[in-house]
Amino acid sequence: MIRLEDLRYRYRPDSPWALDGVSFDIRRGGVCGLLGPNGAGKTTLIALLSGLMKPQEGRITLDTPDKRAVIAVAPQDYAFYPMLSVAENLDFFAGVQGCSRVERQARCAKALAFACLEPVAKRRAGELSGGLRRRLNLAIALTSAPDVLLLDEPTAGVDPQSRHFLLAAVRQFAAAGGTALYASHYMEEIEAVCSEAVIIDQGKTLVSGTLEAIKRKHAAALTLKLAAPPPETWMTGWRARFPDLTAAADNTLCLPRIDADGLIALLSSLAAAGVPVEGVAYGAPNLERIFLQLTRHALRE
Amino acid sequence: MPLLFRLAALWKKEALALTRDRHALAALFIMPAIFILVMSLALADTDAFSGKSRIAVRYALLDLDDSRASRELDARLDAIEAFEKHAPPADADAARRQVESGEIAFALVIPQGYGQQIDAQKTPALQLLIDPALPRALREGFYRQVEAASIRVSVLFAIEALEDSLLSDAPQLTALEAPRLAVEAVGHGDDPAPVLPSAVQQNVPAWLIFSMFFVVIPISAVFIGERQHGTLQRLATQRVSFGLVLAGKFLPFVLLNQIQAVVMVGVGRWLAPLCGSEALALPEGAAALAALWLVSLAVSAAAVGWALLIASLAKSSEQATVLGGVGNILMGAVGGVMAPRFLMPAAMQPWTRLSPMDWALEGFHQVMLRGGGIPDVLPAAAALVAFGLAALGLAWQRSTARTP
Repeated sequence: MIRLEDLRYRYRPDSPWALDGVSFDIRRGGVCGLLGPNGAGKTTLIALLSGLMKPQEGRITLDTPDKRAVIAVAPQDYAFYPMLSVAENLDFFAGVQGCSRVERQARCAKALAFACLEPVAKRRAGELSGGLRRRLNLAIALTSAPDVLLLDEPTAGVDPQSRHFLLAAVRQFAAAGGTALYASHYMEEIEAVCSEAVIIDQGKTLVSGTLEAIKRKHAAALTLKLAAPPPETWMTGWRARFPDLTAAADNTLCLPRIDADGLIALLSSLAAAGVPVEGVAYGAPNLERIFLQLTRHALRE
Repeated sequence: MPLLFRLAALWKKEALALTRDRHALAALFIMPAIFILVMSLALADTDAFSGKSRIAVRYALLDLDDSRASRELDARLDAIEAFEKHAPPADADAARRQVESGEIAFALVIPQGYGQQIDAQKTPALQLLIDPALPRALREGFYRQVEAASIRVSVLFAIEALEDSLLSDAPQLTALEAPRLAVEAVGHGDDPAPVLPSAVQQNVPAWLIFSMFFVVIPISAVFIGERQHGTLQRLATQRVSFGLVLAGKFLPFVLLNQIQAVVMVGVGRWLAPLCGSEALALPEGAAALAALWLVSLAVSAAAVGWALLIASLAKSSEQATVLGGVGNILMGAVGGVMAPRFLMPAAMQPWTRLSPMDWALEGFHQVMLRGGGIPDVLPAAAALVAFGLAALGLAWQRSTARTP
């Protein structure tokens, strides 16, 4: 297990904290999704976990008693050499681990097979398509035979087939006992591949835990978008019936649980109060709605 | 052992990246080869190398005679504008050292008894110490000036003697002769006989140095790419220290520089004669070749350090190309690559010492033109290595400050 406790980091003494007390656990053998708007602190967090930077406050504990954990990063950028071939890139990154020739060859063959890159092994990396580049980026991370894999938006800019392949590869890595942190803006990917997730914003942890627990705790089963704010007396009356009813500043009403009769009664009451309803979202909660609810809808950066 | 494996992986990667950068290879090999051929041919018969142009060459005069005739000779040489008189040396050995170091181009020693020989209307003897790194035309130019000045002194004194003898009963006429001018090329070792400098002798080391410094292009291209694509960060997460990354770059590019040196010497020795120029003459003997190699390695240290500094300062490959290219051209212009130091105005000549390319040129000249050995090239080599290390230190500081 990886435990992050009250991590704080800022790039300059006079700048705001990029990470301001982030705490959560990553279970060994699982994939943890890392969500957050642009500038939330995801990349900083990955830099701290990878050892590229040291936390200024707080600590990171890796619970691997048998040996020193090997952590590898598949960064958001295509961090390889475009003038080298796929095989040469893998050979180089395995080589800088200090492996012998035999070990290097074994690791490269495994990484090539894992990412299905054998047919393009001799092609220059700079000539690969976006999907193949992403696969090479992942394969390079695997040349260090990592215990922990940190993936920073590993599917950015790829087609659905490549995305499907990459998600399956991450699941396969976890199934083989690896631990992964998966940072992405694609909620459906997090739901597809992760067993747990953490949402951070402005350097703070908003929520963390298993996906099921997060959905149970934070999801609103009903979301109503209103044309105008409902009258105060109307809110008071309905809060007496549904204490979880919340109203956001953008005229959105949220309610975690409500049955069909209750929904009909609520809509009729709004019509009687003269508040037009512009949109209704009702049903099983998804991560995106939770994310937007927690991080607010306002446009970032 | 793992460290060696890591370094081997870095060296292999740099070598592969370099061999696939055709434009950089063209800049590193074809550009200097063309420069050597074109400049050697272009300057072979020009005024610059024939001594017709008015240029400031420094000389010192050691007057051991201190006679009226020697002072007359001194005054006549002093009147020649093309040659700038340097402070007189303490003795002949000091004069020799000044010529050896390149501080002055010539030293004229007027021995004791010069005035008596003039008075006696005998052939006077003079000793001329010369720097063999100067073009033949320039050396001959000074030689002729000394010869002419001494003849004029002889004539002056002969006329005075004749005027005196006209008053006597038996005037005497004596045939006057040019002075016996003992010329010594001041070099190193047992055989200081100089290799006569030609345009190709000047141009091969000059353009070789210039091209060696152009490793800034491929080094910065790879280095900036690594920084921009996050590859350096990726290597850092794999516990590859920045020092190891720099070490991984150093050897392949030093090796590349040495290949450049061999190729450019080959161009000067075998290709230039085919194009109508003189062949490059190399010093003989293992010691001289070792000294030459030492200078070449020192130039590599300076060039690679400089290239890494530029790569760490520049934010893009385009910026590195401009910074590195302009920097190299300035160093070349100031350092006597594009125009030899002796062709520059006297006021500008001391500024050449600021350029590492001048130090490099001085090192090569010590071996190729003055017959120097390892001890003679050590000052230039040490200065180049110190420059390379300073640049490397700055690059390290800059890059570690920039990388989170």
